[in-house]
Amino acid sequence: MLARIRQIVAVTVMGLRAIPDRLGASLVIVIGMALVVAVTISILSMSAGFMRTVYNTGRADRAIVLSHGSQYEFASAISRDNVLTMADAPGIKIAGDGKPIVSAEYLVAVLVTKKSDGLDAYVTLRGVGPEGTALRPEIKLVRGRMFLPARHELIVGKSALAQFEGLEVGSRVPLPEGDWTITGSFESNGDEHESELLADSETVLSAMRANTFHSATVMLQRPESFQQFQAALTANPTLAVDVARETQFLAEQSNYLNTFLTMIAYVVGGIMGLGATFGALNTMYTAVSARAMEIATLRAIGFSGAAVVASVLAESLVLAVSGAAIGAVAAWIAFNGNLHAVGGLVFRLAVTPSLIGLGLGFAFTLGFVGGLFPAIRAARLPVADALRAT
Amino acid sequence: MKYLPLVWNGLWRRPARTIFTLLSIAVAYVLFGILSGIDAGFAHTLEVSRLDRLFTDSRFGAPMPLSYAQQITSVPGVVVVAPRSGLYGYFQDPKNFVYVLCTDRRFFSLRPEITISPQEVETLLQTRTGAAVSAEQARKYGWKIGDKVPIQTQTAQADGNPVWTFDIVAIVDDLNHPGGGGWFIANYSYLDEGRVTEKGTITRFLVRIKDPERGGQIGRQIDKLFANSSVATRTGSERSGAQSGLQFFGDVNFLTSAVLGAVFFMLLFLSGNTMLQSVRERIPEFAVLKALGFSDKSVLCLVVAESVLLCLLAAAAGLLVSKLIIPIARGPLSDFLLLLQMPWAALLRGFGLALVVALLSSLLPALRVKQLNVVDALSKRQ
Repeated sequence: MLARIRQIVAVTVMGLRAIPDRLGASLVIVIGMALVVAVTISILSMSAGFMRTVYNTGRADRAIVLSHGSQYEFASAISRDNVLTMADAPGIKIAGDGKPIVSAEYLVAVLVTKKSDGLDAYVTLRGVGPEGTALRPEIKLVRGRMFLPARHELIVGKSALAQFEGLEVGSRVPLPEGDWTITGSFESNGDEHESELLADSETVLSAMRANTFHSATVMLQRPESFQQFQAALTANPTLAVDVARETQFLAEQSNYLNTFLTMIAYVVGGIMGLGATFGALNTMYTAVSARAMEIATLRAIGFSGAAVVASVLAESLVLAVSGAAIGAVAAWIAFNGNLHAVGGLVFRLAVTPSLIGLGLGFAFTLGFVGGLFPAIRAARLPVADALRAT
Repeated sequence: MKYLPLVWNGLWRRPARTIFTLLSIAVAYVLFGILSGIDAGFAHTLEVSRLDRLFTDSRFGAPMPLSYAQQITSVPGVVVVAPRSGLYGYFQDPKNFVYVLCTDRRFFSLRPEITISPQEVETLLQTRTGAAVSAEQARKYGWKIGDKVPIQTQTAQADGNPVWTFDIVAIVDDLNHPGGGGWFIANYSYLDEGRVTEKGTITRFLVRIKDPERGGQIGRQIDKLFANSSVATRTGSERSGAQSGLQFFGDVNFLTSAVLGAVFFMLLFLSGNTMLQSVRERIPEFAVLKALGFSDKSVLCLVVAESVLLCLLAAAAGLLVSKLIIPIARGPLSDFLLLLQMPWAALLRGFGLALVVALLSSLLPALRVKQLNVVDALSKRQ
């Protein structure tokens, strides 16, 4: 057994040492895999960055209430009475001032101009209730001061500030009832709210001449209080609402875009991977014929077929995985942390360790397929014929 | 041309290598075809969105009063104004999303791309609950003219019922998006008489103007009319709306061109490597050709021709596959990309790219063959 392993190691090392002699052909595998992996994980880094932003936003101990059947916040309507009713429901955390932590919110899509290409885009202005700061302790002012209720004031998230024109602290934003002043900017743990504007919900509501809110978000006593809270609201005949844990709600909201990006990545990566595999097969068949004499000699002096198979496979795998590593590093250098905006949400591309792992695993599989058939052929090479050929 | 058999035989000297190279290049071309399809779909969306069609929307989302239509019509340069409101709903299952566009006669003169006969327009207007639906939707849900179609919505009727029933009176197509365009066009009067809230309001005015060049100016004039009204407006051309809308998916152009760049690089390596290897193996053969009187130029041409043949064959195969895939993929992908298509220009670009790759990848081996010294090569010193 040990002898066989020593054989395998010896033949493999011999094969790997000969790679520089076949540099051109070997580079086909390395570069092919580098491109496949770089492209695939770059596209996936979009969905990873997007999902990271989404996950940062949601907390298991927060719940969001929308009117029954509403798919998203803008389509929902929650009346003032509804808000009062749900504030009495069990399971809600009570703030230091003795009030339940409920924020009834109203959303306005505000037209802004993107700095990058000058095109129109919409940024969400979220009117939050007086308990908004207790509800979202992650929101921290970076500059300026908080907006004041009953004044036309708002604060801007740092991603929105970076992405769109005219949202600097002190600038004025055209909204209903004249221009509103941006009094401060905030950061919020890299979450979705950093792409938003925040203001006082009652002030926004009256400026919009609206009398219903879009949604209400509550802080629960504990994550487990959710069932209690949900049951109480569902059982109440005066309410026709859907209750969801914030984490789950956001995951469902982001499903569409996430599926889109992941699908693109897999289609593109899959097709490129197929092409790279054919390239690898080509290279490895060439390598096997170039080494035919050497392999036949080894077989003649007693090396096993397994050793030959292992050596060809190892060569293919080493080339494929090193290509993948180059591709992953290139993708990381080029894209990790880049700002990107999709569907009004700003996020940073994230080339995560798990994506790099995925890329390496993908290249490993392709390298294995690309090496396997040539390896089997090498092992089956008729020894006498190969030795006779010159 | 008479050297074609020679080139052909050279290509198939090692069938396995040629097949693998052909396959890998063809696969890259499948990707090229699909990406070009996405690009072309986006470009088409922009192209058919017109500059002489303006959309007047509410600046902050609150619905606009119907009376705005008259004021907009009075702006010089405006030809027709069509009010439009709508119902968001679904047919049977929430997955079957339907947008019921509620409007009147003027809409059809603003959207001539909708294939509806004057008689059908009359029938639609005379049938209070009438609806003209796109052929695509009719096929998907099995609707026929005369069918009663219940649409589940978020908008309640006077009796509290959120289900609105429509009678299909016409099945239409959209010339800008043949086989697509999820039109479900109904009467504004049916909606407005039936609903309880937001009566007499409109979510968008479609405005046709005489001179597309003046779109920006007329848009500003319209918005100025309502700047101090309870509901301010925001007017833009259909083109600029489409531009912003496509941005939803992020920078698709950058994505496709980056991937295409990677594909091009990959192609260069694949075919370049094959040509290098193939020529290296056949050095003595080229020496024989030269000894037989082939000029430097003609052996160079032989190598280039072989490379061109390889790349064009593979490109043709790959583009053919993508041309076949795209109509099939359009169905399941329609949720994401309405307009996947494959124009002839993209095919031509594909072949152009194949030629460039072929020439670049045969450059080194061709030069080597050209400079070949017959004596050295025949004595295997090279």
